[in-house]
Amino acid sequence: MRKPNLAHIFARIYLRIMTQTRDVFQAIADPTRRKIIGMLARKSLNVNAIAREFAITRQAVSLHVQFLNECGLIVIKQQGRERYCEAKLEKLNEVTDWVDQYRKYWDTKFDSLESYLAKIQKKKK
Amino acid sequence: MENYNTFKQEENILIHTRMLDAPRDLVWEVWTTPEHIKEWWGPNGFSLTTKSMNVEPGSTWDSIMHGWGKDFVSKVEYVEVKKPSFLSYIHFGESEDYDFTVSVLFDEVEGKTLLTMKSVFKSKAIIEELNRKVNAIEGSKQTLNRLENYIKQLQSDKP
Repeated sequence: MRKPNLAHIFARIYLRIMTQTRDVFQAIADPTRRKIIGMLARKSLNVNAIAREFAITRQAVSLHVQFLNECGLIVIKQQGRERYCEAKLEKLNEVTDWVDQYRKYWDTKFDSLESYLAKIQKKKK
Repeated sequence: MENYNTFKQEENILIHTRMLDAPRDLVWEVWTTPEHIKEWWGPNGFSLTTKSMNVEPGSTWDSIMHGWGKDFVSKVEYVEVKKPSFLSYIHFGESEDYDFTVSVLFDEVEGKTLLTMKSVFKSKAIIEELNRKVNAIEGSKQTLNRLENYIKQLQSDKP
């Protein structure tokens, strides 16, 4: 029997998280969204300007923009009557290797440890 | 406090530090007794059952983590035990190559405890292999790199 080890647990946790939340991977899985990111990397644009570049409806483009916004790859800024989309490329640098998962995992564990310690010390007093 | 919380990699070693607002004896206890460790160990949302825990050199901690309707067996063998300042153990992976040794240093700092946790892997190559495995699972790394290059290219075209 193959015993799942921590590496697998981390991997599975991240796989699970990826399917449950919108993240950078889902954002770039779609060619239209990749193209939108590319456009916004050059300059900020409003949805209408983005939509003009595509053969799909403005509504469809708007949904892609919303998706990218939810993933944190772009921010939408109100400028007067227009809403401008701006690329947030640092999100693309999200490190996804095992070491980074290990770091995140233990950061979380230390947080749990910290709050547990706080809890039991409070009880004692 | 913040700058006590660090992480770095040195070749085949991953090093974490964390300052905890609790006396050292208590932090030690929380690491070495089943009723305490189950409150914080393991992935979030998992529960933990300790089958046996014997914190002595050469002895083991056998436990099962429960999560996602599955049981994950976990085995740790203690190597060095110096209450309340130093603990080291071997964490068993699915094969010997993936075993790694963890040492935890408990330092007293003005009534608080500075934790230094070092995970020592067989080699740097093993860490790189784990990185590759996880990347293979996530799959999208390549797409990500391609997109990054594409964007870099676009930006260099900028007037």
